[in-house]
Formats: sequence, structure tokens, C-alpha cells
Amino acid sequence: MRAPVIGRRQALAGLAAGLLASRVVHAATPTRGGTLTVGLANDAKTYDPIFSVQFTERHVLYLAFNTLVRYGTDFSIQPELADSWTTSADGKRIVFSLHPGVTFQDGTAFDAEAVKWNIDQRMDKVVNSPQRQLLEPIVASVDVIDRLHVAFNLIEPSPVLFSLLGERPGFMVSPTAWKQRGPAFASQPVGTGAFVLKEWVRGSQVVLERNPTYWQTGLPYLDRIVVQDLAGSVIGVQRLMTGEIDFVSELSPTDVRPIEKRTGIVLNPIKGRWYFTQWHVNTAPFDNAKLRQAFAHAIDRDRLNEITMRGQGSVSDGPTPEGLWWYDPALKSYPHDPARAKALLAEAGYPDGFAYDLSTPQVTVFQQVNQLLQEQLAEVGIKVRLQPIANSEWYARVVDGTTNFTPTRWTQRADPDGLLYILFHSKGFANTMKYRNAQVDTLLEQARTVYDMPIRKRLYSEAQQLIVRDLPMVPLIFGAEYAALRANVGGFEWIPDQIPRFRDLWKTAN
Amino acid sequence: MRIGRSIGAAVIAAIAVVALAAPGLAPQDPYRSGVAMLDLPSATHWLGTDDLGRDVLSRMIYGARASLAIGIGAAAVAMLIGVPIGLVAGTMRGRVDLALVALIDLFIALPGLVLALIITVMVGANLRNLIIVLGAVMWPPIARLVRGQALAVREAVFVEAARATGGTQVWIIRHHIWPGVLPVVAAQFSISVSFAIFTSASLSFLGLGIPPPAADWGGMVRAGYDYLAINPWMSLAPGAAVSLTVMGFYVIGTSFK
Amino acid sequence: MVRPMLRLIVRRMLLMVLTALAVSALLFFSVTKWLGSPASMMLGQDASPQAIAALNAKYGFGQPAITQYLHWLGGALRGDLGRSYTTQQSVAQAIAIRLPVTLELTTWSVTLAVIAAVVCNTVPVARTPLRRIVTAVNLVGITVPNFMLGISLIFLLSVQLELLPSTGWVPWSDGMGAHLMHMIMPVATLSSYYFGVFSIVYRAEYQDVIKRPFIGVARAKGLNEWRVAFRHAAPNAILPVITFVGISVGQLTGGAVVTETIFSMPGTGRLFVASIEGRDFPVMLAIGMLIVVGVVLMNLLADVAYTIANPQIRHES
Repeated sequence: MRAPVIGRRQALAGLAAGLLASRVVHAATPTRGGTLTVGLANDAKTYDPIFSVQFTERHVLYLAFNTLVRYGTDFSIQPELADSWTTSADGKRIVFSLHPGVTFQDGTAFDAEAVKWNIDQRMDKVVNSPQRQLLEPIVASVDVIDRLHVAFNLIEPSPVLFSLLGERPGFMVSPTAWKQRGPAFASQPVGTGAFVLKEWVRGSQVVLERNPTYWQTGLPYLDRIVVQDLAGSVIGVQRLMTGEIDFVSELSPTDVRPIEKRTGIVLNPIKGRWYFTQWHVNTAPFDNAKLRQAFAHAIDRDRLNEITMRGQGSVSDGPTPEGLWWYDPALKSYPHDPARAKALLAEAGYPDGFAYDLSTPQVTVFQQVNQLLQEQLAEVGIKVRLQPIANSEWYARVVDGTTNFTPTRWTQRADPDGLLYILFHSKGFANTMKYRNAQVDTLLEQARTVYDMPIRKRLYSEAQQLIVRDLPMVPLIFGAEYAALRANVGGFEWIPDQIPRFRDLWKTAN
Repeated sequence: MRIGRSIGAAVIAAIAVVALAAPGLAPQDPYRSGVAMLDLPSATHWLGTDDLGRDVLSRMIYGARASLAIGIGAAAVAMLIGVPIGLVAGTMRGRVDLALVALIDLFIALPGLVLALIITVMVGANLRNLIIVLGAVMWPPIARLVRGQALAVREAVFVEAARATGGTQVWIIRHHIWPGVLPVVAAQFSISVSFAIFTSASLSFLGLGIPPPAADWGGMVRAGYDYLAINPWMSLAPGAAVSLTVMGFYVIGTSFK
Repeated sequence: MVRPMLRLIVRRMLLMVLTALAVSALLFFSVTKWLGSPASMMLGQDASPQAIAALNAKYGFGQPAITQYLHWLGGALRGDLGRSYTTQQSVAQAIAIRLPVTLELTTWSVTLAVIAAVVCNTVPVARTPLRRIVTAVNLVGITVPNFMLGISLIFLLSVQLELLPSTGWVPWSDGMGAHLMHMIMPVATLSSYYFGVFSIVYRAEYQDVIKRPFIGVARAKGLNEWRVAFRHAAPNAILPVITFVGISVGQLTGGAVVTETIFSMPGTGRLFVASIEGRDFPVMLAIGMLIVVGVVLMNLLADVAYTIANPQIRHES
């Protein structure tokens, strides 16, 4: 029996057009050849998927490697290295049928043994991959059935597995090369991908070349991809204008103002990055629900969206933006109501006002948001001091608890469990808010072991209602960002995880 | 030089007036955000708005306060350290002088901005720290200058003192050396103010100034750097203000030397 | 003359070593306290607590400061300056890649500044507009901060006129033309300050020199003003400038921090600022040492050059 896979078209009937899916760039039909130069603020530390942690590493990983399954533009799960899959009746055994005739870039055959090896490595305590904590609660073991069939034995039924196999845990690494190259594998990776990593000059660029033995016939179109290091988005925009680069992303709505009407450049929006402020809810002062509510009512999220995103983002009432199947339109957070905020502040025990430090990392959006928050909170008698903090230190301090009150942001994951569990389950490894709600825990645990979409949707709705009511965080906005491309680049589509995929792009002459 | 003196004085006077009268002078609230972001100059916003919709002109006017406070404060601290050291070195001969000269030479060669950078990052950037750090970085040239002047005066006075009956070192310093050194010190004070404003603006530009939402010239230039193609005044206006202020103090100081 | 100079060199070298040790120890002991655990900063938002603990242990963060210092010192003497916390690249390598960029920027800027300062202030055109222009440029160079000058140039030449690429750096290997285009504004920005400084020093000395008897002799011999200025006065007036060049280059060994930042040049200055903000201690320490060495070395070179060039001292020995 084929269990309902995440992302059935019906379930996405409510998908707001264009909100998360991207516009397909309508350039001419695919042309072969050429070099695509991408500008990127690259903070990659390693291109070994087993140890990859940084966001920007995946830009290159998706070129040098394939995943077992891939994401569609609506986060639906599509075949890639796995052609199809079947789920057992009890949901605890998933058998993947692998695409035949695939080889790694070093000639090693890609087969069930390779898949088993990949997963085993990630779960191995000695290897100590950061992905172990993602797979351990789900996968009991992996069996090789035959050359092209591999079975995952699960601890509990888990729809979450599919979304994991479309990103970091799903990148299939050549066992031969990995064992042979050891630590050097990080800069000389070998996968099954459409491009081979030829050169990595740290701080300068990454050069990838077409894989002549790539298994997807017809692909890739490009001969070469160069990922050039950028110091910032402004430089990216300038280089795009002069034609030095063909593609740059992570541009804010303000960054693209100079190129909005420019001929030869096309803009491609992506929305959904979730911005919120968080605090520790298990200790004073923010263990006081009324105080938290006062903050929530004082904040004018519309204005945040208008000023920092030029109105192109959207107000956030909860963790999920419109367009994802686990979005609940009935969910509303505390509305902007300064009078109510002042009343609640007094009820909370601070009739004469309240002062606190707000951590401010050196990220433009955070600095802008924080200054606006400061202004809005001041109007109800809450005095917020902006504490600048170095970017490199910021998240570390959030994790070790020295920072209490801070803005933060997360990109969306293919499965609701992806963000909701790690952030809001009492055992979630990114739960730096120290949020503990037994009901939420139960709901999240249930939802991650059920394949039935309507049931999952209901469970996540309930969980999100509780979370939004409890305010371990104050939801702010969903950001809008842009990719800007030269008009002769074709085939680009955004995936809602906001990692640009370059594999299927082409470049026409001009 | 006389023209320079007048222009310098005019500039300083103007900046001082602006700083003191800021609340009355500024057309708008420098901290009030608005939905008209990065607008070019218009009737309501003479220098346009910044990325949060705030009036650039008002922020520039308020920025004069922080700049003058840091400039004058840091120069004062530098004087407090450098002048005594210079006086002592220039008045006493022998080993004391040699030791102090070695100390001064060592510090003079070090890059001031780099030192200020390291220390500021460690102690955190706020008004008080910036004044102290900059003062601590600026004293060596002052000490050297004062020492040189003290030496010159001392040569002239020595003979006299030798003839006079038993005046102590302190007395000589107070009654002879100091008056001779004073004009140079006064001129140098102005130059130090200009240097302090220069360096603090550079620190702010690197992200180590008084944190937002403070209206601080260097910080404004930094924030506006990303938006040169949209509203260049966000950077150019405070940058020009810094340059003008530095120039004013510098010209006055050098014209008296 | 050779022996006193050798003594000078040896003394200065000793001073350099002592200063380097003192500064490194000072930095080490004052800064380690203020640093947090670099492991969590290295691993980022998705890291688990176990991964962080493991990395911390690997880098030896629990150990007392003195142990860590001696460990570092031992490595440094062998040429191993450790690994950057942020990129995990070898620090020595990271600096080696960036040093040429900074050196090139510094060389161009200081050379241009010296030549311009000497030429503009030697040309015997007193009381002409040129003198006033030079004075004005001096003033602008000294008082207008680097960042303002740089941004103004970027705005004018890149944004408005689109004549030059605004930022970034292109290696020689990618084409001399492109490389030079990217260097024009940074060099112009950096050299303007030094032009001002050197001008002032040079002009003061020159005023002094031009009044000396031997100049009168030269004039009396019938030499034209230009020859007098350039062949006789200039070589003498340039002496104090040499000292200043030494000090300037020494200060710039850490990189021209602001200029490199504005123009996004991959030099040691930008690396230094990044390392301070990023609490990347090995890099910060290494560049700090570089600055100490550079300052002492350049001062020494300047003093040696001065001694050689100064006929008075030369003849004394």
C-alpha cells in the first residue's frame, strides 16, 4: 500500500498563488553550455554533507550531490535518487526503489549498500554527525534488500523521514571516496550530482564543472558554475548590474530598489522566513504571562512589515506562513492594542513601566526591527535597551542562555515537524525558550507518527494555537526576499526552503 | 592663516550652536520612524529619509552632540595624561626623561585606530568608554609636543633659575615652564579634538560606535553605505558633517601654532 | 659607520622580540577571559550541545591561560599560528593570502603620497594658485576621514557616473586592466591622508632648507629655480619624510582597516576587524603580532635609511 505522501495536490488547494511558489523565469528553451556565476555571502565550512551545518553550504551540496528524494516547489516530495517507495501497513517500514544505473563521480556504483552506508554513518556515535539527532528518534535500522531496494526500519511510523531525505541526511556520499579522502573530503567531495567540485578557494570562490556521466539524461545544461564570494548584498547588486555575476539572492525588498526597473535583470521573490522575538519563559521576568501579553499587544506588526519589508512580507500570527499545508487561517496572535498593553503591564505588576535589554546582532534586518520595536514598546511604557552583539557570538549566547531576549529568524522546512518540534517541544534541540507544555509535547509527538494528512493538520493546528497563546515567542513577520538574475538565465524556481537550486538552469546567449 | 582662523572659528561656533540647540533646531524627531523610507530630499525632509523613514537632517543635527561630547571629552582625557608626562619629561633630565621618551616613542608608533578598535570591542562601545579609550590612545603625541616645548623653555629659564635662589622643580614648572608651554597646549587641544572626532567616526563606521538608534555621524554613514544608490544623503550628509567639524577644529589649532 | 649601525639593528631586533612577547602575552591574558566558547560560534544555529562540547575539548578551552599561551607560543615559533575559529583554515595561510593585497595597496598609496607631496611642495611657484590648491588638498586629505572620502568617490565615480567598479578586488591573474580599475579609488582614498601628512612635514622642512646658505650659493651660481629646488633643496628636505614614511607603513602593516572595509578588499585589515568582531582569537593574535613586527621593522628601516641619507650623520662617523 502506498501511504499518503506529504504534499498531495488536494491538500494544497489552498495554496495562495505565488506566495511561496516562485515565478518560473520564462526565458527561451534550454540552451546548452556556458558558465553561471553566482554571488553568495559564503560562510561554508565544509562540503561534506555528513558534517554540513551552515545554510550556505547547501547551495553547493545540491550541485555536487543528489538526495534520495527532492522537494517540489510546494514542498511536495518528489523522486530523485529513489524512483518510488512503498510503506508497510503499520507504517514502520519504508522500502525505496532506487534509480538504476547511477554512479558516483568517482565511478563507484550507487546502490542500496551505498544508501545504507550513508545513513549508518550519520547515525554512528563515533562519527558524530550533527544529523544523528535528527535521524536517531526515527530510524531504527536500514536493510539492503537487493541492489536497488533499500528498507528503512522505523521506530515509529514517520512521515518526517521523507522531508529529511530531501535535505542534509539525504545527500548520498560516495563511500569509497569518503573513506579514502578522510578530512580532505570536505573540500574534495564526491557525490552523484550534476556538477563536480573542482576548486574551492576559501574566501574567494567555488568552481564546479559539469559531470559528464550524470545519470539524469539531458542534464545539466551548464558547463560550469562559479560561486563567487560576496561581502554583502549591495556588492552583489552592483556586480549583477555590471554583469560580473548572473545571480544573487538573499536580497531585501530595499536592496532591489535600484534594479527593480532595470532592463536585463529579473527579480524572483520568495517569502516565508519567519521572524520572531523570543525569551526564557521558565524564569522571571518573562515567566509572567501578562507581561508577555503586554509586549505582544504593544507591537505593531503591520508597521514592521511596511518599513522593513516595504510591505512585501506578511504579518505573522504563528510559525506557519500561508501556502504551506499546515497553515491555519483561523490562528490569530494578539492584535496591536497599546491601551490593552498598558493595562496588562500594570496588571503584570509594572504600573510604572518595565525596562529590559534586547540583544541586537549586526544583521541589518534585526537592527531595523529592533529599533522599530523599541519605538513601539516605548509607547506603552516598556523601555528596551538595544544591546549590540557580534554575529559570531549571538547564537552561541542564545544557546547557552546568557541572552534572554532577542529577535531571531528561521527558514521553513518541508515538514511541519521540522521547525515546530525543534523549537517548541520540550526536548527540541533548538528550544532555547525553555518552553514546556505537556499538551504541546503530546500533540507534536502524535503528529510526527501519523501519515494521515487531515489528522496531522488538525494536530498541528491545535499545537500552534497553544503555542501562540502561551507566547514563548512573539511572532512578528514573514520576510520577503529576492533572487535577482540576469534576464538570459532560464529555468530558475524557488523552493520554499529558500535554498536556490542551480542544477537545472541554463544561459542563453544574451 | 588669518582667513583660516576665522573660518575655523565660524565652523566650530556653528557646530556648537547646532549641538546645543538641537531640540529646537531639528525639524523632526530624529528617532521617529516613518513609512516613507529612503526618500530623496523633499520639502518636508530636506535631506530625505533613512531606511527606517527617519528624517536625515534631524539626525544629523542631533549627531553633533555625540561628536562634540566625544571629541572634547577624549581630548581632555588625552591632555590629562599627556601634559603631565610631557612636562615631567621635559623638565627633568636624565633617566626619567629617557624612560618617558622611550615610552612615548613606543606608543606613538602603534596604529591608534587598531588599538582603539581592540580595546573598544573588549570593553563595549558607549559614550564613556569611547571617551576614555580615545583619550588613552591620543596622549603620546601630546606628551611629545609638551616635552619639546618644555625643553625649549627650560633652556631659556635654566640660567635664570640657576641664578635665583633655590627654586624647586615644581615651582619652576609652575611659574616658568607651564606658561611657556600653555599656548602650544591650547592649540594642540583643538587639534586633539579634531583627531578624536575623526577616529571616533571611523570606529562608528566600523560598527563600534554608540549603538543604534543613537544619531551618531559615523554610525549613520555606516548604515547609509548600503543605500548609496537610493538616498546617498543618508551617508554623505553625516560624512560631510564629520569632515567639516574635524576641519574646523584642526584649522583653528594649527593657526595658533 | 657600519658598526654603530649594526649595533642599532641588533638593539632594535631585540626590542622587537621583547615587544612581541610582551604584547602577545598581554593580549592573551586579557582577552582569553573575555572570550566565550568559540565552538558554538563555529558550529552555528543547528549544532547540538554534544558537538559543541566535543569541539571545545578539542581546542583545549578548559585549560589554564598560561598553558594555552605556551602552547600557542610553541606553535608560533614553528610557524604554526593555529586555526581560525571561524573558517578553520590555517591562520598563517589566511594571512599569507591577504598580505599581498594589503602590501600592494600600501605600496601604491604611500609611494603616490610621497611623490605627490614632494613634487607639489617643491615646485617653485610660491604665491600662485597651485600653492593654495595644494594647501587645500592637504587639508582635505588630513581632515576628511577615509570612509567619507571613499564613499564620496564611490558615489561619484561608481554610482552616478558608472565609470569605475565600486568595490571588490580582482587579482592580477584576472587581468591587469580590471585589477587596476579596482585599485584606483582605494589608492586615491588611502593616499590622500598620507599626502596631507607628508606635505606638512616636508613643507616645514623645506621652508627651513630653502633658507640655508648653500641654496643661496646655488642661486648665485646661476642655477635656475627649478634645479635649485629639485636638485638641492628637495633631497635635504625629504629626510624627515623618510621617518614618517616608516611610521606610516609600520602602522599600515595591520592593514588600512577602513579603506579595505569600504572597498571590500581581501586584505589583512579587513581580516583583523572581522577577527575582532568575530572573537576569532588566533587570527587576532597573529595579526597583532604582525603589526608589532611591522612597526618595529619599518621604524628601523626608516632610521637606517635616514642615517644613510643624512650627510651630516654620515660624515660624523
